[in-house]
Amino acid sequence: MKGLIAFGRFELTRLLRSWRFLAVTVGFPVVFYMLFLNNHRSGALVDGMLPWREYLMVSMCSFGALVAALNAGGTRLSTERATGWARQLRVTPLPPWSYVGTKVTVSMLVVLPVLVLVEAVGAGFGQVRLAAGSWVALALLLWVGSVPFAVLGVFVGFVVNAETAYPVVTVLMFVLGYFGGLFTPVRNMPGALQTTARILPSFHHASLGLALLAGQGLSAQHWLVLAGYAVVLGMVLVWRHRQEELRGVA
Amino acid sequence: MRSRQSNVGQGADRWLARPGRPRTPKSRSSPPAFRFERVVRRYGRHIAVDHLDLEVQRGETVALLGPNGAGKSTTIALLLGLLHPQAGSVEVLGMSPRRAMAEGRVGAMLQGSGNGLPPGVRVSTALRLVHRLYGDRVPMELTIERSGIAPYLGRQTHRLSGGEAQRVRFAMAIAGDPELVFLDEPTAAMDFAARQSLWRTVAQLGQQGRTLVFATHHFDEAEHAGRVVVINHGRVVADGPGATLKAAVSTRRLRFVCDRPDDHVLDTLEGVTDVEVRGRGVTLVSLDADATVRDLVRRAVAFRDLEVTGARLEEAFVALTTKGSIRSAGSP
Repeated sequence: MKGLIAFGRFELTRLLRSWRFLAVTVGFPVVFYMLFLNNHRSGALVDGMLPWREYLMVSMCSFGALVAALNAGGTRLSTERATGWARQLRVTPLPPWSYVGTKVTVSMLVVLPVLVLVEAVGAGFGQVRLAAGSWVALALLLWVGSVPFAVLGVFVGFVVNAETAYPVVTVLMFVLGYFGGLFTPVRNMPGALQTTARILPSFHHASLGLALLAGQGLSAQHWLVLAGYAVVLGMVLVWRHRQEELRGVA
Repeated sequence: MRSRQSNVGQGADRWLARPGRPRTPKSRSSPPAFRFERVVRRYGRHIAVDHLDLEVQRGETVALLGPNGAGKSTTIALLLGLLHPQAGSVEVLGMSPRRAMAEGRVGAMLQGSGNGLPPGVRVSTALRLVHRLYGDRVPMELTIERSGIAPYLGRQTHRLSGGEAQRVRFAMAIAGDPELVFLDEPTAAMDFAARQSLWRTVAQLGQQGRTLVFATHHFDEAEHAGRVVVINHGRVVADGPGATLKAAVSTRRLRFVCDRPDDHVLDTLEGVTDVEVRGRGVTLVSLDADATVRDLVRRAVAFRDLEVTGARLEEAFVALTTKGSIRSAGSP
């Protein structure tokens, strides 16, 4: 257990000391938020139920969580698998499952401050006014809903090699962001794209927050889809990990 | 015609004569460091480890010697639990390799394409983590001293040269002060001084009762082991004490013509372990060809057409490791 805590701390420290990770994770959601803020400074309602400014903040929260999780897992993981560090760790007393477990946990730990940061931008520049409880509820809700993103990030790090990890993560970030309706509301998209959005975890992640702010309560459908992603990706990840155990890491 | 063989000569023959058999009898009181029984490991069609039998007792320092692709790394990966055997059984310290690893009784230095270190941290941070994973059994200072990595501690891991990274990996292998240490080609990128330091530490750990197993394809590195196991095509082709190997390596054969060979003189020549006389043709086996030649001159043996040829065992070793067959190494 002491070893596990030491490994978790080591991973977290290493992640927070990476200027590239910090620049991307803090920079992307904040810069995008600012850009969209200037484009759409209007009082229009999104989906006829929520002010634009609230939609934007929730969307940027989702985007921030996505960016943080994909970058914490994907690129870095595949790099350290390529250097042989992942393999070296397996010849220490650290239990084999804890490598993946710690990666997902650490991704989750960095998602929470990103959500708080985006909320702060929303309160400071985005003219979002919420009750104290709603701020907390929104952050916690979106945080718990980020588990599939964290698993996805680690999954990408496992299946993609170091050279292609960076472009794959970038493409995933924008595909999930755009087609999940985080840059422009799904209702404003053509019909086919609206259907596509409904199968993406990013859409359901943002929908959790939007439903909360619209006072619609918790929608089982969004949770089910997010849980489905987490479970399926998690299972493939475990299977993949086991395959490597049997085959041996080259 | 007569022939005499010394212990060394016999040893050299025995070295080749008993492939794959454990050298030391099984101890009943405590399990061996590890035991391989009929272990098979394939990669697709290629068979990397082919019904390998091998047993190493605790406290031994063993070299796994063989050319690239002989199955040394696969053998080590099986011992570390990184790979599972497709047939046969692998036992480490009387338990499964995984369990021995989880209990922190094993340390290892692997071979790979990268430098094997975590990117984006200082060497000291990475080494501290490995100490913690082993439950801080020994102070970090001891590991630093043993591995000689003090100059790189403050360096970022990606700024290390190949040899420096290798020393850090060695430090990680011994950071938990494990009973059993596996080193896969530990000196590949090291300079002379680093090698010296590594072998010194290996010797020290061996004296302290640790079991050390290292893989190498360098004949002269095997001398750092008490026991040398030659592996090729995934099988043990030779297994014997390191001293025998060393003697065998320096063994030369001297042939010359002598009109009136005197057995008594030839027998007592410096370095000579074996004498064979056929008419006027004399063949000597010597552990020190230079000394033997000097002695021949000093004792005024009337020799001509002197011819010195290389070590039989080395020839035998090359033949073994390139053809994979066991050749008779008996007297000519």
